Amino acid sequence: AEAMATEWNVSVWGKRRAFTEHVEKLAELVSEKTNGEFTMNISYGGLSKNRENLDGISIGAFEMAQFCAGYHRDKNRVITVLELPFLGVSNLEEEVAVSSAVYNHPAAADEMAQWNAKLLMTSPMPQYNIVGTGEVRDELAEFEGMRVRATGGIGEAFKAVGAVPTSVTATEAYQAMESGVVDTVSFAQHAHLSFGTINRADWWTANLNPGTVNCPVVVNIDAYESLSDAEREALDSSVPEALDHYLANYGELLKKWDAVLEEKGVEKVEISDKVLAEFRSKAADPIREAWIKDMEAQGLPGQELYDLVQKTLADQRSGS
Amino acid sequence: MSDIEIGLWVTAGMMFLVVLGMRVAFAAGLAGFVGLVWLRWNGFDYDPARFGKAVEISVKIAGQVPHSKVSSQALSLIPTFILIGYLAYYARLTTALFEAAKRWIAWVPGGLAVSTVFATAGFAAVSGASVATAAVFARIGIPEMLAVGYNKRFAAGVVAAGGTLASLIPPSAILVIYAIIVEQDVGKLLLAGFIPGAFSAVVYAGLIVAIAMIFKSVGPPVTGFTWRERLVSLPPALPILAVVVIIIFFVYNPFGEAWGTPTEGGAVGAFIVFIMALLRGMRLRELLDALLETAKLTIMIFTIIWGVLIYVRFLGFADLPHAFADWISSLSAPPMLILICILLAYAVLGMFMDAIGMLLLTLPVVYPAVMALNGGEMVSAADSAFGMSGPMCAIWFGILVVKMAEFCLITPPIGLNCFVVAGVRDDLSVQDVFRGVIPFFIADAVTIALLVAFPAIVLWLPSLAG
Amino acid sequence: MLSDSSIISKLDRTLLPIERATAILSGLAAFSLMFLAAYSVAGRQLDRTFLAPFFDKIGLMDGPLPGYVDYIEALMPLIAILGVSYVQREGAHIRMDILVGRLQGRALWLFEFITVFCMLVLVVALVWGSWAHFDRSFDCARPLCSRDSSIDIGLPIWPSKLVVPVALSVLTARLLLQMAAYARAFVLGIKSPPAVPLIQSVAEQAAAEAEQLKEVGK
Ligand code: NA
Ligand code: NA
Repeated sequence: AEAMATEWNVSVWGKRRAFTEHVEKLAELVSEKTNGEFTMNISYGGLSKNRENLDGISIGAFEMAQFCAGYHRDKNRVITVLELPFLGVSNLEEEVAVSSAVYNHPAAADEMAQWNAKLLMTSPMPQYNIVGTGEVRDELAEFEGMRVRATGGIGEAFKAVGAVPTSVTATEAYQAMESGVVDTVSFAQHAHLSFGTINRADWWTANLNPGTVNCPVVVNIDAYESLSDAEREALDSSVPEALDHYLANYGELLKKWDAVLEEKGVEKVEISDKVLAEFRSKAADPIREAWIKDMEAQGLPGQELYDLVQKTLADQRSGS
Repeated sequence: MSDIEIGLWVTAGMMFLVVLGMRVAFAAGLAGFVGLVWLRWNGFDYDPARFGKAVEISVKIAGQVPHSKVSSQALSLIPTFILIGYLAYYARLTTALFEAAKRWIAWVPGGLAVSTVFATAGFAAVSGASVATAAVFARIGIPEMLAVGYNKRFAAGVVAAGGTLASLIPPSAILVIYAIIVEQDVGKLLLAGFIPGAFSAVVYAGLIVAIAMIFKSVGPPVTGFTWRERLVSLPPALPILAVVVIIIFFVYNPFGEAWGTPTEGGAVGAFIVFIMALLRGMRLRELLDALLETAKLTIMIFTIIWGVLIYVRFLGFADLPHAFADWISSLSAPPMLILICILLAYAVLGMFMDAIGMLLLTLPVVYPAVMALNGGEMVSAADSAFGMSGPMCAIWFGILVVKMAEFCLITPPIGLNCFVVAGVRDDLSVQDVFRGVIPFFIADAVTIALLVAFPAIVLWLPSLAG
Repeated sequence: MLSDSSIISKLDRTLLPIERATAILSGLAAFSLMFLAAYSVAGRQLDRTFLAPFFDKIGLMDGPLPGYVDYIEALMPLIAILGVSYVQREGAHIRMDILVGRLQGRALWLFEFITVFCMLVLVVALVWGSWAHFDRSFDCARPLCSRDSSIDIGLPIWPSKLVVPVALSVLTARLLLQMAAYARAFVLGIKSPPAVPLIQSVAEQAAAEAEQLKEVGK
């Protein structure tokens, strides 16, 4: 008998952008490798709200989806290790390496299996540096009382030095900046561009590197297991290629970044090592300690996960 | 069967249920749910053993929608705007406005009618609902007009038409709903409503003056107010001004930094009107009534929202909006002609349907088609069919459809505002009001034509806000 | 709405206080939005003035309310859904009554029975689906039973998800009651049955609406 064509629905959100290029590439590769037998139908927001993509995977509404760990920490406690502030990740390749190490840890796989989900790949994000209006803030004391749009671990870090993390959605960030609801916004570069915060900014921190968000792409386990061997092989083998494409594409965007800053007249602020060290000691250590304690109390290997991230980073650096 | 065909069948089924008289929210939700099951089972090749699985998945998809779609900060504007309207009523703002408008502008030909139009426009700035506005001014404005010898039908027509201004001039629940459905900036849409709303009021006023000058018997001017009388009439109406300024300044401050987000602006506006109502002696009993009425109207609107969104979720899986947009943009007719046909279709549909239900049921499919017609959501003004960027087109179309929906409040056979005015006045039949409102059809048709021909009327203010 | 000594009418009068309470809760939640915003805005603005140290000291209005958006999102289902059954009881969910408005007697009760039955199918499915949605976010082996939390301050989401199946369960009871009332009216050929909203003409509705606003008037 003839093999039946497989069609997967994929739920992402927003518009097609650097952040979704690996998903687009994956769909393209898989279809090529299976001669169009296995196709993916990528929907930008039509199938689910972004914060419910994991629920959608769990009930089998669609077969593949992207979400961010910080949207709902209680749904995905394990991978929030990757959103701790000041992990020390300095480029996208390292972000890919630490993410895949954590994704392969049994604790992460177990927690995702409770949602019927399997972690496929990450959507590597650069460090969430901040743009701001008015006077440059490059001393820790100047963060006191600063209203910053930051979520998850990054928000915690700013809170630790007296700033006020303020919740506005990404789409409202520009408005919030313009209206003075926030003084600064922490985003990856592509988001500063696509949400327009760069147009409003007077300065951008080049090396604050407070941390990033972690946004995995997951597949429904039943759907994955019911793929034919050839289809599964096509999917698995396409992941590294899709990530390479993503990195190359994001690299182009980062190359243009300095030109964008210049064009918009945004000052590039370098924070001194002394201030960075001070920030880290106030924010990184206590938040990490608290996170590990919280995870261990819930029976999750917090310390082990953190050590895994650090070991992977060390390996990655000595290897390259 | 293809997904698109299923989408069309289910849509037809939903329309059938709506015509049959099923509550719109639940007809849409049921259609969406049945559609989800059908789509999924079709994917299982109608394998009887897997029917249960198809139902289970669909139930869980549909079951997410109410909580998921309702938990939104932007949607919190709707209860707030509804609450402002009820509180404004207890703050006696309506009579204060009418008094002030009368003393300042009733000296022109057709003066009391012009005053009524501007008072309804002013009340529109604190009320999100057109029908309530018409009911209130039928009680305040009509007796005064009749007392100085106005034509009965004409007076009724003025109030019915004036009431429609409430949904264009912010705060407007219907504009918020549009913004949510099409995922556009609520603040910019609210800003965009101001000028077309004021513009409509001016067109109405111009028409009244012209009629009064031609037919002397229709509405004599009212004179004799001293400057002192005029000045003392202002303070009681001031909260309206405060609310308008607050909402504008929260969305867009022409003198510098804006004060916050639209949602905060709405809530702070409500807070001020609440204080005002307390000062004017609102009782606890009245507050509880206002809260119960707010809850009733809010829940009614939200039930349609989540019901329709279950249907929209099904459309997402069937990919129907995409197919419809492709079809529309493949037509060889000029885009402007197609747009005008769409607006005319709304005029016809609106004769029989409630405005909110009509917009919610049609926009998920029509909006992507209009955007495609203009050249896509992210098109630049230079490459577009209507000479405006994608986001600006979204705002322009929003104001146009809301104006269409308002227009339908005064057209027979179900022009709700006319029924309300007739309901309030024992001496007026519905036919009287429909006859009196006829001149305002012409005014509205002119307004809509001008908004289509000169989009800058709509887009100037929001374009300032960046 | 008519009431008499029949069991159906008694059940209606038992259900009504519950429904009214849910609607008042919805209204109070809407009311609280106003205060949340006023507090948050005042806090933010005062924090920029010379009064900031004072408010810092008393610990009130010290900057914007942390988690403001999270609180609003948690309140919204309460505002928008909890009283859904009260609205059905009052016959206030909109519909097109061009067709049913022309029917009378048994034909009308048959139509009403069918449309209410269709509603019931959907609502029962949604009780199941929204309960499952709640259940996925609820796990008492975890702190605060939370398996899903809000984005900013990590509030557990399950209480707000639980509102939906609760509200829809009350609505299920209301729909069953209405079906029974319509069936009884159909079988017995009653002209004006108790415990169901009677169809008003648009004009009657308008008059009723105007009546509500009458007392304040001038
Ligand atoms: Na209004
Ligand atoms: Na009409």
